[in-house]
Amino acid sequence: MALVAACSKTADAPAAAAAANPSAPVTGGTLVYLEQQAHTNLYPPAGGFYPNGGILNQITDKLTYQDPKTLKVEPWIAESWTVNDAVTEYTFKLREGVSFSDGTPLDAAAVAKNFDTFGKGNKELKQPVSEAINNYNHSEVIDARTVKFYFKKPSPGFLQGTSVIGSGLVSLSTLARPFEELGDATKIIGSGPFVVASETLGKELVLAARKDYAWGPSTLAHQGRARLDEIKVIVTPEDSVRIGALVAGQAGFIRQVQAYDEKRVKDQGFAIYAPSTRGVNNSINFRPDNPLVADVRVRQALLHATNTKEIVETLFSPNYPQATSVIAATAAGYLDLSAKLGYDEAKAKQLLDEAGWTVGANGARTKDGQELALRAYEALPQPQNKATLQLVAQQWAKIGVKLNVLTGDAGTTTLDNLDPAKTAVLPTMVGRADPDVIKSQYYPTNRNVLLQKGGVSDKVRSFQDAKLNALLEGIASEVDPAQRLALVGEVQNYLIDQAYVIPIFEEPQAFAGAPWVKDVGYEAVGRPSFYSAWLAAH
Amino acid sequence: MSKYLWSRVAQALVVLWAAFTASFVLLQALPGDAVLIKFLNPELGLGPNEIADIRAAYGADNPVWERYFHTLWNFLGGNFGYSMQAGVPVSQGLAVNLPPTLRLASFGFGVALLLAVGLAFLSNLTRFAWLRAAIQSLPSLFVSVPVFWLGIMLIQVFSFRLGLIPVINPGKWEGLVLPTLTLAIPISAPLAQILMRNIDQVLTQPFVTVARAKGATRNWVLWKHVARNAVLPTLTIAGILFGELLAGAVVTEAVFGLNGLGSLTQQAVGNQDTAVLQAIVVISAAAFVLINLVVDLLYPVLDPRLRVQLGH
Repeated sequence: MALVAACSKTADAPAAAAAANPSAPVTGGTLVYLEQQAHTNLYPPAGGFYPNGGILNQITDKLTYQDPKTLKVEPWIAESWTVNDAVTEYTFKLREGVSFSDGTPLDAAAVAKNFDTFGKGNKELKQPVSEAINNYNHSEVIDARTVKFYFKKPSPGFLQGTSVIGSGLVSLSTLARPFEELGDATKIIGSGPFVVASETLGKELVLAARKDYAWGPSTLAHQGRARLDEIKVIVTPEDSVRIGALVAGQAGFIRQVQAYDEKRVKDQGFAIYAPSTRGVNNSINFRPDNPLVADVRVRQALLHATNTKEIVETLFSPNYPQATSVIAATAAGYLDLSAKLGYDEAKAKQLLDEAGWTVGANGARTKDGQELALRAYEALPQPQNKATLQLVAQQWAKIGVKLNVLTGDAGTTTLDNLDPAKTAVLPTMVGRADPDVIKSQYYPTNRNVLLQKGGVSDKVRSFQDAKLNALLEGIASEVDPAQRLALVGEVQNYLIDQAYVIPIFEEPQAFAGAPWVKDVGYEAVGRPSFYSAWLAAH
Repeated sequence: MSKYLWSRVAQALVVLWAAFTASFVLLQALPGDAVLIKFLNPELGLGPNEIADIRAAYGADNPVWERYFHTLWNFLGGNFGYSMQAGVPVSQGLAVNLPPTLRLASFGFGVALLLAVGLAFLSNLTRFAWLRAAIQSLPSLFVSVPVFWLGIMLIQVFSFRLGLIPVINPGKWEGLVLPTLTLAIPISAPLAQILMRNIDQVLTQPFVTVARAKGATRNWVLWKHVARNAVLPTLTIAGILFGELLAGAVVTEAVFGLNGLGSLTQQAVGNQDTAVLQAIVVISAAAFVLINLVVDLLYPVLDPRLRVQLGH
């Protein structure tokens, strides 16, 4: 009964219209979308958190649109743009007639205010800067439809930076609110195809189509208003309930399906979608400031002791491709380094012998009376991270190295992960489809996953890699696109040669959908876009 | 009586202040803090200078005593601050989440009470020893069922297989059926156990024999004489069970995807969202105090012997 009721609730309008031609997209209907977690703060630069990105991507537009396949940056709210030769000035010509859902115009002044905020932050309102906007200096409104941005240094990543979820454009009234109030979705006013109609904090969000929306990216096949009338985003934390509800017909689309649940979903005739996040792969990073992993031979030994094929085959599915470099194969500037990454237990043992770590009576490697025992905290947002680390621990145990996998409260984990002496190893991943992502991940004053001196942590004693940093700075500022990609290749080689990183798999975002939910799109880092989506008769 | 009430109110205020202070001290003692967790979050990818600025803006590194009095003063004025994680005022979070939990908890408790009374009386009224033994063993079964497992089983059977009640998008009251049951079953166990034991105890007392000798039926004695006497200790336990209700709500709300104090607590604990946790602790303490006060005031209503003592 409930199944029938649920279906009819979502299918009334489309069913009639689709009767003539079942494969033609239809307008109307409500999609029930189950989210694993409640959204947090919806300040656009915080859109990296999957639940936030899933909402922001429906309610905001971006200056530019990045084609998820070609990664080419195309016009959206900006019709065209010019960049000076030094790549320090960008001028955007805006589309006409675009408005925010509160009726205010999306004009040059609004765009300027958005990027002033994202580029510099707003201390008074506690709004932090955006990771995607670097070296920002100031904006200039040339006329109502022309805006110019100035940068302190060459900033080739900015153009792509205008296309990311973190650069979603919001109204002046939203930007005038303190950061602490931006967790209320009803206060986030964008110009996107959907508008937040109502919200029950932590439980449910209703997104309604904007009937007058007429400014989707021009390269998309679908134009005009969104096809769906409404999306109900319902937070359903329990995995089995999300999947059960989808299969029972109580929901049309769900986010976060673990690899071990994929078969169950597919067997029932439902589809799994696993768009790549196209950034830095799910990896294990070393903190060379810790004397145990300061020797490159030790790190290389551990790299060759890690059997990523076994990890992917045991714990994951073909939707989680085995990593062949630091960044995903679909990322810009990717270089296939699988030749350098091979699993080789004998070589690993030999490297440790050479480094002076000898096998003791209990099978553990020691040197000067110290055991080669490392610690890592499980990263909760990554799929099956604990199981992954535990499997790595088993693999490393074969060459006599101990990896203690820890689970801690958020505070302890955050603090210990800043201390190389406590965590010699850190699991990470980050999605962004621009070479800037690799700089952001390893540069000391950004994410600094290797924990170099000069970052947030005051626990680092001396580790710094000038060569790596010079390469990273090059990526962030190299004006010539071909040269920039060459630098990306060099960094990948360098990170693997130094064995700073053990890439494991290319992380996707896993969704499942009912067969009658059609044409859900995914932007370049795997966040869903429901603009073109429609409900077939069922 | 009014003097008694006043002293109880004064006691309650002391309890609230102590709960506030203890939770403040404990939360401070934890490693890290909400600002660090929020802004060092890799999703934001902020650098050291930006983080330093933000910490200064939030006063995260001010002396502990200064933050204590600042927070206490705000609490006294009814200002609970902001949830660092959710990005909304704590008062807004509470306004949204308190009513559903109260509804769930009171339904859960009501059903638990019905279950407990039902079981206790059934076990006493039944003439068959085997049935009696079976009923009396139910509380131990109920209390050992994990709440999350029970919830998932109920969903699987009643929602996904039989399709009786949708879990996603249910009606307001319809949606309460399964969560209420999930919450009520484990809570009913201690209530039923105590009620059963008390009934057994009271039944052995001389006045019961007298009543029976005078010709009262078994049912009459059970309802009119035994029940009243047996219910007092049960009431005491019921006051304490409130804590269990809140704990059960955390799991129940997570399984059913309901919003409420439980899911709010869970998220706040996960992110060390101090402002939210402090507000929840103070509100829970207030509820505890209130419920126990009500229980104390109910005693004399149920037992005339206690009325005399209070009257002095």
